[in-house]
Amino acid sequence: MSSTSQKHKEFVAEPMGEKPVMALAGIGEVLGRKLEENGFDKAYVVLGQYLVLKKDEELFKDWLKDTCGANAKQQRDCYGCLKEWCDAFL
Amino acid sequence: MPFVEDPAQLSKSRLKSDLVAHHVALPPAASKKELYVELHLKHIDQSNCADFSSDDEDPVHDVVGEDPENATVLDPSALTDKDLKDLLLKHGVKAGPIVASTRAVYEKKLRKLLQSGGKEELNEAENAVLYSDSDEEEEGDENKEEQEEPEGEQEQTAEALKLNQQRCNKKNVDVQRGDFAYSQCFFLSSRLRPCPLKQNEWSSKRNSKNAVRSSEQTREHRSQIPAGISKVSIAQHSGLRSGVPSGSQSVVSNGCSSRSSQAFSITEMVVEMESRTSPTVCSDKELSHSSKQEHRSRSSRPPQEPENDILKEIFPDTNATPTGIYATPRRPIKGAAQRPIQYAYPKTPVSPTTLERREVERRLVPIYIQILVFFTVVYVLYVISVIVEDGSSVMPLLESLNQWSDSEEGSPALDETQDTHSASGEL
Repeated sequence: MSSTSQKHKEFVAEPMGEKPVMALAGIGEVLGRKLEENGFDKAYVVLGQYLVLKKDEELFKDWLKDTCGANAKQQRDCYGCLKEWCDAFL
Repeated sequence: MPFVEDPAQLSKSRLKSDLVAHHVALPPAASKKELYVELHLKHIDQSNCADFSSDDEDPVHDVVGEDPENATVLDPSALTDKDLKDLLLKHGVKAGPIVASTRAVYEKKLRKLLQSGGKEELNEAENAVLYSDSDEEEEGDENKEEQEEPEGEQEQTAEALKLNQQRCNKKNVDVQRGDFAYSQCFFLSSRLRPCPLKQNEWSSKRNSKNAVRSSEQTREHRSQIPAGISKVSIAQHSGLRSGVPSGSQSVVSNGCSSRSSQAFSITEMVVEMESRTSPTVCSDKELSHSSKQEHRSRSSRPPQEPENDILKEIFPDTNATPTGIYATPRRPIKGAAQRPIQYAYPKTPVSPTTLERREVERRLVPIYIQILVFFTVVYVLYVISVIVEDGSSVMPLLESLNQWSDSEEGSPALDETQDTHSASGEL
């Protein structure tokens, strides 16, 4: 039994399309709002940032922390979610 | 967000993205960088002024960051994208495209690398200092002990004993192997042996206070020594003790004899105990017995040893035991195998052979009966066979049968019947 959340499973199950940034695992309302304020209003924009950072875990997590103030768990969840999505669809 | 912001040095794309992030309307795409810079200065710097107060630490970091690197002006935010990338590459970080959104992350990373580089050097220096200190301490201890041994003064030896005692105890606790631990402890006790001698010699010279003080110190050690020795296997303990005391027995006995009106010390007690037990080392029983007593007595009364002398004076003829106290010996605990059987069984020895004999004797009677039965059956069958063969002469056969059944003797009756049978048969 994996330790991923329901949100994670839902996100990874299909192409993200136009899903909002709050559909990402680890990103709730507060963090989602902050990301939107920084211009990352859609999940694919965050994906873009993840890819630009060359899928580097540490860099992405740092960026996430700097941008929206995510804690370690939220960073971990978001990174894992995006990583798995990329493995499946990219 | 960069803290020391000089929009002119930022790239155009960076300025654009910053403007977008701050919800500032972008100028037309083909406009010059200067426009962007102006807009940037207008809108973003205003907001940054508010942020500055919360970002007091970072300028400090920048200053600190500058110190380790000498040549380049180390302000990651002041670098161009390319320079930032190059610096990161120097530190082994293969950075991706440094875009507006990624720039902040890479700047942060570079700062981290610079700080960690400086900290590593400090840590190495500290570790070196630490290690050197520890080495000195260890060497100091060893030198101390080596110096103390040849001098042999009471107080210094006591300190050395303390160190050794600690080592000994540690080794007893950690490595409970009889030989190793015992050798350490015994080395300690052997070292202690010369001490009471000197104490005896110098007691007249020195004050009684010193002797008492040292005895108190050694008393603590002595109390620890028995504990250490008890942990060791008794057999080894007894065996080794027999070997060593013999060597120094003569010296010890002199010390003991000279002791008369001196301050009481446990070291003398132990010495006497060991010396007295050495001649009595003959059988394992005595040793086990004495060691058990010693174990019990030592564990129960280290502080009561002043009484031992009095007891000795009262009972001078009693045999010496390790503790100096001769209590009524308890019946030695023997294993079940050694326990005499007479208490449990009747006096007649019951061995397996006797049991077998009894069984045989039981069978003898039934065997005899079986033989008799066998013969009667044989005779009956024989008679029947004769009757079958020759049916005419039934009566004499019956008479012979009657005769046979009456008489108990088998063979003469058989002979008679056989004769009659043969006679009848011939007829």
